[in-house]
Amino acid sequence: MGKLKCYDFCVHAVPDGDNSVEELASLARHFGYAGFALTNHSDKLPQKKPVLPSLEGFEIFRGIELVEENPSKLHGLVGKFRKNADVLIVHGGSEKVNRAAVENPSVDILNHPSFEKSSGINQVLAKAAADNEVAIGLNMRPLLHSRGSRRIRLLTDLMANLDLARKYDVQLVLSSDAMSCYDLRSPRELLALAELFGLEESEAVNALSTVPERILARNRPSPGNVREGVEVVEEVDFL
Amino acid sequence: MKHLMPSLRSKKRYLAFELFSEEPVNRGELVREVLSSASALLGDVLASECDIHVLGFEAGKGIIQCSHSKVTETRAALAAITRVNRLRATLYVLGVSGTIKRATEKYLNDDAGFEPNLKAVEE
Repeated sequence: MGKLKCYDFCVHAVPDGDNSVEELASLARHFGYAGFALTNHSDKLPQKKPVLPSLEGFEIFRGIELVEENPSKLHGLVGKFRKNADVLIVHGGSEKVNRAAVENPSVDILNHPSFEKSSGINQVLAKAAADNEVAIGLNMRPLLHSRGSRRIRLLTDLMANLDLARKYDVQLVLSSDAMSCYDLRSPRELLALAELFGLEESEAVNALSTVPERILARNRPSPGNVREGVEVVEEVDFL
Repeated sequence: MKHLMPSLRSKKRYLAFELFSEEPVNRGELVREVLSSASALLGDVLASECDIHVLGFEAGKGIIQCSHSKVTETRAALAAITRVNRLRATLYVLGVSGTIKRATEKYLNDDAGFEPNLKAVEE
């Protein structure tokens, strides 16, 4: 992978998933990730805020995946969790929720947009997503765990969304959506899968590295940040 | 039958891999799963072009052979494995090489093996 830093921006640990953050992190680091975002579903959060373990050479980001059917309540939740989350994901799945997610600039990623007979994204939503810099998440777990008709449906939706994303310049994020450590896949494996599913190599690399880094830069201003657009890059003593 | 001349033999790549599974699995179970996953993901035609063979598998590590032009497809098929013999598993390709010798030396012989502690929670 060279020096490219890859991030998995959708990982679920206990109590949402099966494994602890430590287990997931040690395997992800072994797989060559520079870091991942712990994004438990908002309806399965632990009682108290988990203390994120620190591993050498591996970063764990605070994230959350919001599950809410009601758009106005969703906007409320976004406001509530935005301050403490590096990565804010909305679990889509209905027209109203998808629309609310892509129209809210505070949202980072929209996951699982597809529902019934639609891929979940149309030209209106794609344009809104591009304007508000909301990325569309491509999750591997459902694709790997299904076979036959269900996987065909999922892939058709993925390709439809990919076409729209290309046309309207919507950002994409590749992630494992791991519920256990056995759902993690190394960056190289994700790239191979993405390429097989029709992404160009550069698009896949962007979705695994560049876009996550951009999301982090947006939500974690550097220490020298003064205000939007103004940053102290290097401090020099003027006599 | 006379052996095929080296120049006429199909070119291959060798993927050294590591398998993490809930319980240890044997080679036969893995072979079945690799082929079934390739056939399900790629279809029988493309899977046959990949020329996938599990050459060896011991103690969670092994080597898989594939056609030199189908490394990406093979990797994807391997990544699509979610269960081996009904046990949850994930396969990680350590590296790709043009000869078995090099793949073994480079990726399978290092002493700094990784032992993920997947059962016990470490501090």
